[in-house]
Formats: sequence, structure tokens, C-alpha cells
Amino acid sequence: MAQLALVIDLNVCVGCHACVTSCKEWNTSGQAGPMFDDRPYDENPTGTFFNRVQTYEIGTFPNTETLHFPKSCLHCEEPPCVPVCPTGASYKRTEDGIVLVDYNKCIGCKYCSWACPYGAREFDEKQKVMKKCTLCVDRIYDQNLPPNERKPACVMSCPTSARLFGDVHDPASEVSLAIRERGGYQLMPEWGTKPSNHYLPRRKTHLRIHEDELVRADNPLKKEDIRHETSKEVSLDDWLM
Amino acid sequence: MKTSKKSIIYRELEGNVAFWAVVGVLGAVIAVGLGAAYYMEHHGHYVTGMSNQIVWGMPHIFAIFLIVAASGALNVASVGTVFNKTLYKPMGRFSALMAATLLIGGLSILVLDLGRPDRLIIAMTSYNFKSIFAWNIILYNGFLALIIVYLWFMMERKMNAYYPYAGFAAFIWRLVLTTGTGSIFGFLVSRAAYDTAILAPLFISLSLSLGTAFFLMTLMAVSKISNRELGDAVVRRLSRLLGVFVALTFYFVVVYHLSNAYLAKETAFETFILFTGNPYPMLLWFGFGIVGTLLPLLLIYLPKFDRTPEFSALASFLVMLGAFCLLYVIIIGGQAFPLEIFPGKEVLESSFGDANKIHPYTPTIWEILLGFAGIAIALIAAFLASWVLPFFPETLADTAVDPHLK
Repeated sequence: MAQLALVIDLNVCVGCHACVTSCKEWNTSGQAGPMFDDRPYDENPTGTFFNRVQTYEIGTFPNTETLHFPKSCLHCEEPPCVPVCPTGASYKRTEDGIVLVDYNKCIGCKYCSWACPYGAREFDEKQKVMKKCTLCVDRIYDQNLPPNERKPACVMSCPTSARLFGDVHDPASEVSLAIRERGGYQLMPEWGTKPSNHYLPRRKTHLRIHEDELVRADNPLKKEDIRHETSKEVSLDDWLM
Repeated sequence: MKTSKKSIIYRELEGNVAFWAVVGVLGAVIAVGLGAAYYMEHHGHYVTGMSNQIVWGMPHIFAIFLIVAASGALNVASVGTVFNKTLYKPMGRFSALMAATLLIGGLSILVLDLGRPDRLIIAMTSYNFKSIFAWNIILYNGFLALIIVYLWFMMERKMNAYYPYAGFAAFIWRLVLTTGTGSIFGFLVSRAAYDTAILAPLFISLSLSLGTAFFLMTLMAVSKISNRELGDAVVRRLSRLLGVFVALTFYFVVVYHLSNAYLAKETAFETFILFTGNPYPMLLWFGFGIVGTLLPLLLIYLPKFDRTPEFSALASFLVMLGAFCLLYVIIIGGQAFPLEIFPGKEVLESSFGDANKIHPYTPTIWEILLGFAGIAIALIAAFLASWVLPFFPETLADTAVDPHLK
């Protein structure tokens, strides 16, 4: 059985929010929309977003670094939001493992939001039903789109190709390969929710550079401002003058 | 020795000026609350203080307050029927009535605050039996049905012989019901405040104290309005029972926090809820601990106060305030503490200010008005039902209730 999912490479995510805006653009105009916006052009804008980017500081000053962490529904294989739904509006598709909400059955009790350990549920305050990432289910099967565009909007828009999409149950897929070979991991696996989305870790690249490699021998523009000491002795110029 | 005990006569409440004044005030509160519900429904939930992080707010606190009180209000009837205590039997009808109306009040808030109250029929017809929330819907409806049968058996002379069975069934059901209410939180594995079986007995003990307090206050108010006698010894006995329940609730809260504090992974949450995360520590220590537990216990058990019914009423009121504070801490405090995806890591910023920080919540007036409307619905239903049908005894004087009382 297939399990579609995203694999997000935290090493190359630059936190540009292209995935956030393209997700909102596609979904607010599609089956999942419209998606609520509150104060979009004012202070503290908020609203319904299926995909958000959180920025973490890792380490202690001065040894700190910044990590951009895109967060959306992880389409867990054991989703805790599904069994708690009183009406069965939250469900997991058997054919591709996508966790969806039936907006026509959701009564807006918000109990699933309590159950999700990742905080991925989004209550639409205008439509008053619970929403979440659909993995662009209305896009990935759209026969009117060229096959290479049948991917979630966030994957299409990522300028650094930090987001991969595919079947994590297929060992030959691009996503499985990335998980296998580049240390892909799940968020909070101790919960037993088996998130399908995986993250690829930050990788450090250390170059061993010798100091003299940083100084150019010719130094035409005196970029490094290297000035050799001049001799105190009388030079040929002094003698001639 | 044979006693000359009179049989208890039940009579409908008289529609005097005081009665209609109270009904009028309650009606106004309901009208304002319904207006608030309409405002929230019309504009959407963004006009409330709730957010994607604090998804349940003030209406839910009021609703759970009333639902917990409902199962507890049945105590008096249960003590009379199940445990066969003479003193409590005359109050059985009103106790069962209060249980039903409080539940209706609580459910009214819950339904009016749902994102889609118009889809209530879906909640009633499309069950997901794995959901504790769906189980609660069954438990609430079953409780109402059982209470109706219980009342019918108590009030219908021909069915009188069977009312102990109905009373026993209702007693068991109320324990299951409150276990279900507590388990709404107890079954939540994903948040630090919950995921513990002790929440079920904690909610049962809270229902015992809160329900008894609510019942005692209403009993005294109705007696006053309808000019019916209410014996001091009856009040004293009820308030002493209340004292035991208050102590029991305190015990469960202490055990809950102690065991959490012992676990290293919960230390951060306990530090937040007990010390640093105001207003929650303030509400817990002062609201629940001092106002809702210590002061009522002093009022109930100190000989200086315990023979004055007014102090019993005050103690009941304080217990209700304390229970409200406790529910606020459990429900809002548990959500305010952030989900930690990367423990120990600090979020610098996030799209649209939803970072992993302590989530703020300020209840709006609309939520509070809806909450008070729920209380008013519970009370007006109890008042009007007692005006139409004989739920309330003609007198609850000490000698009429139990000649052995002193």
C-alpha cells in the first residue's frame, strides 16, 4: 500500500516561505478553500495556513546557528487525530495514506487539534471546520496537468528543491532513497504515530584551508592590504635623486 | 420506638413576584448569551480569544463546569436511593431534575460553540466509536434518558417500587459519564498536561464537590424564593458532605501534580503551571487552593460557622469558584504550554506569530456571555420545571425530613 509523503531537507531550506505562500495560493482557490485570513496586511497577520515555517536557534551564543523548519501535517501512519474525531470526519485514505478531513462531516469541535502532537491542525475561523495539509490531493491526481507538475504546490515552488514528494513505502522512490542515504528521520518517533513525512538533517561541510591559500600571491588590488616593510637603507632611487 | 414522621408532600413552586423576577433575569441572561453566540457564529471564531493553539476557551470551561456539576448534582438523589439515607430522599426529585437541567445547560454551550452547530444531527447519527468524544455524546444522552426514567419512577405512584433500580442505574451511569468527561483530557497523549488516568477520578471527585455545592446553593435559593422551610440541620448535613468531597478533590489535584513533578519530562510543565506561568499558578494556588478549598473547609467544619446556613451557602459558592479556577487551569493552562517538537530548542520566529512559546489567551466578552447563558439555561429549566411539576417538597424542615435530626 502506498504512503505518499514529503521529505524536507533542512540543510538547504533557507526559510524563504515560498512553500507557505504557494500552498496558500493553491489551496485557498481549490477544493480546500477558501482559507481564512485575519489582518493580512496589518500587525500580527494570521489565518489558516496548511504549511508554516518556524525558525529555530540552535546552540548557545556565540556558537549558534539558525534552522528553518517547515511544518505541515505529517500524514502519520498511526494518526492520533483520526480515532478521536467523534463523527469520523478525519480519516486516512487506504489507497495513498493521505490523512484528510471531510469538511461536510466536520462539526468543528476541534478535539483533533488537541490530539495532534505536532500542532498541524488548522481551524478555519470563517468556515468553522478543521482543515490541514491535503498533500494537494486535488493536484497530484489532476490529469489535466502535465505529469511533472502533479506534485504538491509547495514542492513545485521550493527554489532550493528542499522538498521532495513521493511514496515512502516504495524502496525505489526518490524519497525512500533520500531517507535511506541521507539520514532521513521522523519527528518525535517515540509517540508511535509513525509520521510519513521525514526530514533530512543539517549537514556540516568543513573545508580544510591553509591560511596561505587565503592570501593571493600577486595581490593586484591589495585586497588583503599586505604591505611589506620598506628598507631603511638608502635605495637606488635615493642615490639617483 | 415508633416516630411520628409525616410523609413528604411535593408541590409545584408558586409563581410569586420573586419567582418571576428570577425567571426574568435568567431569561435576559439567556437572551444576551444567545446574542453573543449569534455574533460569534455570524462573524466566525476569530472574534473570540481562541486560536489555533488555544482551541478550547471560556465556553468550554463553562460547559464542562456544568456537565461535571450535572453528574454531581445527582449525588443527593443517589445518597437517598442507593445508600438509603432518609434525610436525602425528599430532595431526590429536585436533585435528579438539577442533574438533567445542568447537563442541558452545559450541552447548550458546547453545541452553540461548535464550529458547525447546524451539523449536530451528524454528531448524533455518524458515530466514530473509537472516539472518547463520541462516547461522551452517548453518555450524555443516556444520562438524560435515565434521569427521565428515574424521575418518572419517583413521581409516578404506580412505578414507585422500581425507582431504586433506576436510581442505581443512574448512579452507575453518572460515574461512567464523569469518567468519560475526564478521559476527554486523560486520553490526550500529545500534551504534557494530560495523558494520565488520574484525570478520570479527579473529575469524578470534582463532580461530587461541585455538584453538591451547586445543588445546595440552588436548593437554598429556591427555598428562599418560594418561602419554603429548609431546616438548618439539612443544610448542615449537606455542607458536611460537601466538605468531604472538597477534601477528596484536593487530594486528587495534589496527587496529580506531585506525580507529574516527580517525572523529569514533566518538570517544565509543572514549573509553568505551579510557579511561573501566570495566571495559572495564581488561579491554582489562590483560586482553587485557598478560595475553593481552604476557606470552604473552614466555613464548613469550624464550629463557629457550621451552624449558620448563610456560611454554608458561602462555602458552596466558594467551592464553585474554586472548581471554575481548577477547570481553567486544566483546560487553558494545558493548551497554553507549548508542544515541544524539539525539546530545549528555542523558536526565534515563525510564520504569523505562532511560534512555540507560551500561548496567550484572553477570553472575550462574547465567550463569557455565552457561558453565563448556559448557567442561566440550567437554572431557568429547573425553576420552570418545578413550577409546572411537583419536584420540590412543601417543606424541608428538619423534623419533616427526619425526626431524628438535631
